[in-house]
Amino acid sequence: MLETIHLSKSFKGKKAVQDVNLYLDNGESVGLLGPNGAGKSTTISMISTLLKPTSGEIKLNGINTVNKPGEIRKILGVVPQELALYQELSAYENLKFFGSIYKMKGKELEKSIQHALEIVGLKDRQKDLVKTFSGGMKRRINIAAALLHQPQILILDEPTVGIDPQSRNHILETVRLLNETEGTTVLYTSHYMEEVEQLCDRVYIMDDSEVIAAGSKAELLSILSSEDTIKLELSKINEDFVEKLKSMEGVRKVESANSQLKIIAKKGSNLISELVHLADRYQIQLLHYQTETPSLEDVFLHLTGRTLRD
Amino acid sequence: MGSFIKKDLLLFLRDRKEIIITLALPILIIAVLNFAFAGLLDNDEETTLDLQLALVNQDDDENIAEQLEDKLVAEGSVDEAEAAMIAERASYSDPVQALFDFLESEDLQEWITVHELDEVTAAEKVEQGEIDGMLVIPNGFTVESLYAGFTGKAPNVSLAYKMEEETTNNGTLYDIIHGFIDNLNYQFAIQQIGGSNETEIVQPQGGVEQLGEGETFTLAQYFTLAMGILFALFLAITVAAKTGEEIRQKVFNRILVTNSHPMLFLIGKMVSTFILASLQMTVVFILAHFILDVFPGRSVDFWLGVGVIISLFSLGVAGLSAVFTSISLRMKDIDAANGVFSAVVMVLGVLGGNFVPIYVFPDWMQKLGEWTPNGLSLSVLMEWIQYEETSSLMMPSLMLIGFFILCLVIGLAMYPRRGEA
Repeated sequence: MLETIHLSKSFKGKKAVQDVNLYLDNGESVGLLGPNGAGKSTTISMISTLLKPTSGEIKLNGINTVNKPGEIRKILGVVPQELALYQELSAYENLKFFGSIYKMKGKELEKSIQHALEIVGLKDRQKDLVKTFSGGMKRRINIAAALLHQPQILILDEPTVGIDPQSRNHILETVRLLNETEGTTVLYTSHYMEEVEQLCDRVYIMDDSEVIAAGSKAELLSILSSEDTIKLELSKINEDFVEKLKSMEGVRKVESANSQLKIIAKKGSNLISELVHLADRYQIQLLHYQTETPSLEDVFLHLTGRTLRD
Repeated sequence: MGSFIKKDLLLFLRDRKEIIITLALPILIIAVLNFAFAGLLDNDEETTLDLQLALVNQDDDENIAEQLEDKLVAEGSVDEAEAAMIAERASYSDPVQALFDFLESEDLQEWITVHELDEVTAAEKVEQGEIDGMLVIPNGFTVESLYAGFTGKAPNVSLAYKMEEETTNNGTLYDIIHGFIDNLNYQFAIQQIGGSNETEIVQPQGGVEQLGEGETFTLAQYFTLAMGILFALFLAITVAAKTGEEIRQKVFNRILVTNSHPMLFLIGKMVSTFILASLQMTVVFILAHFILDVFPGRSVDFWLGVGVIISLFSLGVAGLSAVFTSISLRMKDIDAANGVFSAVVMVLGVLGGNFVPIYVFPDWMQKLGEWTPNGLSLSVLMEWIQYEETSSLMMPSLMLIGFFILCLVIGLAMYPRRGEA
């Protein structure tokens, strides 16, 4: 349905997006994962016709939208990272304005507004000014404004930034609903791994302006099929102990935070007895031991050497 | 386009701070300035003056014609026949009586009290401060004045004004008397040129002279026009600032990803600015009128003329907002852009005479000010208040339309294409 081919964008010679190839099939939910500054928003801006690519193509059903941006605008709904709303207008007035500039009017517009409000669960607050809403409610109206013209493709650029867990769950549920029951194709960008894991069929991982990995969740996790993740909770941690751990056979990476340790080790290394022995030598009490199945977060760590929120 | 206009109007009307700045502040400033500077241009203060003038008449007004004829013959200016003819014509004139009539005229009567006294008493009273000044009509003044008037030679005697010390009241009295003498000389000169047989002396008008047959222009009117226009001009900055907010909040981007023509955004800004500026000026003028009685007893035609100028000036402000909006969309630093816009409007305000009357500036600045939309509108409104001549609206109207078209062209040329904003 939608694909980008060797998509690149430079600002004053500095590459913001480099050689990005991605595709979205009809009805799919695709995640674009990456830390801040990875190039996700620039990629989205090019797909949504806000920026012209320096090179490469964006094709919608085989038609190059760089030359015919009108084609994609008709079927694209964009939820920007910022709250792109008029704070001094009510939720209803905002939606009416954005709906009308999609050339909708009369009953059709009214029906769309009520439908969008129903999806985001703010029908009863439609007459209130947006500035009186909580952060989460504003985010939901931000989504509603992109749904008015019933887009076939919905692009959401980090739609849950800075909101409470309840609103976040509501938004994730809304996106899932749109994808599963309304058949909307979703491109969801985030630096929250768990959101992408929860929502998306396929994931593109971006870092430093490039796509560094792509595939279904299972495909990405298979990158780490040769590794185990061990989580330890200790009574205390000292540097010598961590250094000793790193030098143990089979240990590939050790991360420490407070009194917790995360060890990525070669699959089947069976480190438990050695760990207990080492802890005892350093008079450290082992409070908790857990072997984990790798997550996308671990995949990202494996690929880039740092966490998503670094 | 209606959606864009409605949105901009709603955003403005929901902003209480802007409403106060645009409507309440100019009214407040007009009221304060009017109160603080009352009387600077108004003639309402005439009645507060109470000038005391002592008049000492030492002139011998018996047989004026004979005295004049004798003098003309004695000085050898003319022959006897002509001297007799001049004396006959001069018999219709009486400069002293004209002075009395002038000082007791309706206009001056309200604020000058004339006391006919002898010289000693008058001098005493002036010295004691009971009287502001004394005017002495010396002996032979009538004959000398008429002689001087008919021959063009300088008179040997003249009116003498004496005062104890230089005060505003004394200065005013001196100016009035001096004005009378100038007028008297002028009348004689006219008579000589025209060869009129009758030398009836026309009295100069007392108080603040009116120009032509126009209405007086008051300080309250100046403040109302100046502030109304200035604050309407500020709307161009307000609109640009709101555009900045739309860019900052990425609402502009959201508009761009719809299939609506980007130019509608700019046109919406212009139309809403036009409506807001028109409404703002109309409300300020009407409120100022009701609160301060700024335009008393004016006709419907007068208000229609004011409406035309308001509309044309609002068109100019709309044009300016188009330029500011386009620049806002191109500038990376919105705050810097707003600072530049404020500076531009301030300069326009100064040049256009919205802060202080334009005549205090050097000529080149005055000329420059006439080319600003606000300066032009201010001067045309001032002229309209005084003369209500429809012809006076034509040229300024064309200039304001020209300013709008110029701004529109610049605004459109600078308006960013997709991806440039």
